[in-house]
Amino acid sequence: MERRSLTATILVHLAALVLLVVILAPVVWLFVMSISSTPDLIAKPLHWWPDTVDLSRYGVLLSSVANSAGEAFVASLFNSIKVAGMATVVALIVAVPSAWAVSRTPSVGWSLYAVIATYMLPPVALAVPLYMTLAWAGLLNNVFGLALVYLTILAPFTTWLIKSGFDSIPREIESAATLDGARLDQILRLITLPLAAPVMATAALFAFLLAWDEFFYALLFTSDQRAKTLTVAIADLAGGRVSDYGLIATAGVLAALPPLLVGLFMQRALIAGLTSGGVKG
Amino acid sequence: MSALELINVRKRYGTVETLKGIDLSLSSGEFLVLLGPSGCGKSTLLNIIAGLAEATEGDVRIGDRSVTGVHPKDRDIAMVFQSYALYPNMSVARNIGFGLEMRNVPAAKRTEAVQKTARMLQIENLLTRKPSELSGGQRQRVAIGRALVRDPQIFLFDEPLSNLDAKLRMETRTELKRLHQILGTTIVYVTHDQIEAMTLATRIAVMRDGHIEQLAAPDEIYNRPATRYVASFVGSPPMNMLNATVIDGVARIDGSLDGVPLPPELRKRAVGARSVIVGIRPENLSLAPTDDSGFNIEAKVEVVELTGPELVVTSTIGSQRLTASLPPKSKVTVGASQRFGIDASALHVFDKATEKRI
Repeated sequence: MERRSLTATILVHLAALVLLVVILAPVVWLFVMSISSTPDLIAKPLHWWPDTVDLSRYGVLLSSVANSAGEAFVASLFNSIKVAGMATVVALIVAVPSAWAVSRTPSVGWSLYAVIATYMLPPVALAVPLYMTLAWAGLLNNVFGLALVYLTILAPFTTWLIKSGFDSIPREIESAATLDGARLDQILRLITLPLAAPVMATAALFAFLLAWDEFFYALLFTSDQRAKTLTVAIADLAGGRVSDYGLIATAGVLAALPPLLVGLFMQRALIAGLTSGGVKG
Repeated sequence: MSALELINVRKRYGTVETLKGIDLSLSSGEFLVLLGPSGCGKSTLLNIIAGLAEATEGDVRIGDRSVTGVHPKDRDIAMVFQSYALYPNMSVARNIGFGLEMRNVPAAKRTEAVQKTARMLQIENLLTRKPSELSGGQRQRVAIGRALVRDPQIFLFDEPLSNLDAKLRMETRTELKRLHQILGTTIVYVTHDQIEAMTLATRIAVMRDGHIEQLAAPDEIYNRPATRYVASFVGSPPMNMLNATVIDGVARIDGSLDGVPLPPELRKRAVGARSVIVGIRPENLSLAPTDDSGFNIEAKVEVVELTGPELVVTSTIGSQRLTASLPPKSKVTVGASQRFGIDASALHVFDKATEKRI
């Protein structure tokens, strides 16, 4: 709107500011907690900003001394990266062909809905069967086992998301490519997949986040540093008789970094993909 | 040798029959227009020729070779889609050259062919752009270029002009006609626009409900429509269709005292009293002087529209509507009764029951 009164402008900015505060306040508080010293955190009244900046907890969590809290944390960090990464990559590999099939053959669409219907089951309902299956396969307390479980959660979700991306690509374009002599793999590689790249990146990002944040199955199916993921490791920090809230907050900040990096990377890749085609051709 | 032959082509989707036995034969260099309203099966027929759909029954022969079961890419055809269907992630040059690229034509030869096509369509300056950076008319040209560059036996066009605005549509139409004259290729063109059909085609197939109602040259379609349907579909404003009864060789217009004496050869065919439909094209009507003793009918003028080159007069005879296209300076009074003279040689008479031309 070109014409807007000063009050309206102020109100709009105020609303945006409120939204920003609501969204960012917990994150900011998490960060402040992670750099506050313990006396600052337990002081009454609460110190909103610490008197002394204390970065020692970052050192504690990232230390590689054997049998320290740091070693457990770093191991779980890598476990999380492995599990979420593997589950996401395989979910995409599974999702792309099945999404294309469902999108281009509406008569088999029911199968996707049947799979999505399993989403309606609460995770706890599947916990026992999954546990027994993993035990039978010898995959308990194993990153591959956990990644496999996550795959069953991610694949339907990514398939569904990517299918809607394929749906928005006109079939006439693929027909034209068929007439131009492109084989199915060429059509997918040269036309359909590049056009669906944004939606695939979105699917990958959300799948990664979903796997990264998962707690319930990770808690049930892992027991030590060989497979424990971050969410479980953070819960462990709170589990003792003495809870160092600052340490938990620090773990939270560190745990948020990898998904953040993945998000930034995806965004860059996306923009690069779009513009490189536009300029060079 | 016929470039394209359709033999009793049928298409069924479950119990619905969209094509009910299409037979036609096209010689090389012909421009065939499939004309009909949406849902008449014309696009299905085009897809069957292209190989994007398979006929349930019948045979399609391209260049005397049956292509039933042959993959679209091996049929030696190119198609221009209504939505253009350009590849949005590729430059114009790659879009045009994609068919050659997929057929492993060397890059140098490909570039040359793309350049040549672009020159012909005057889009050389657009080659490095993406489809999203082009206007509708330019996209249309690229889509045509993509078909042209492969030099196929048959070109298929699926309503290629329907997404363009009126002025551009006319220009592109002329351009298509020019291209056809230069290249002399065989074209099958689907449209619901009768003007496109009339201007472009060497032959028109008017389709209705999955069959061909009439297959003939444009002037025959216009001047000797085989059925009432064809007559009403082609021409703008559409042909007047007056219910009438033939008594003693005179077609008495229902709801009017006037009659139109039928020409001798028509009179022979329309023996006895029978219900007919008298078709008169609006441009075959003229203002008749009040004392004119020739063929004329009286009607009450209701609406007068000046389009520029002509004056379109809508009037009624009883409950029937009569539209006349008159010279722009004609004196017509709204609400008054007016006698319209009829060019007797331009009468079309259809049997009311069978709707066929008498």
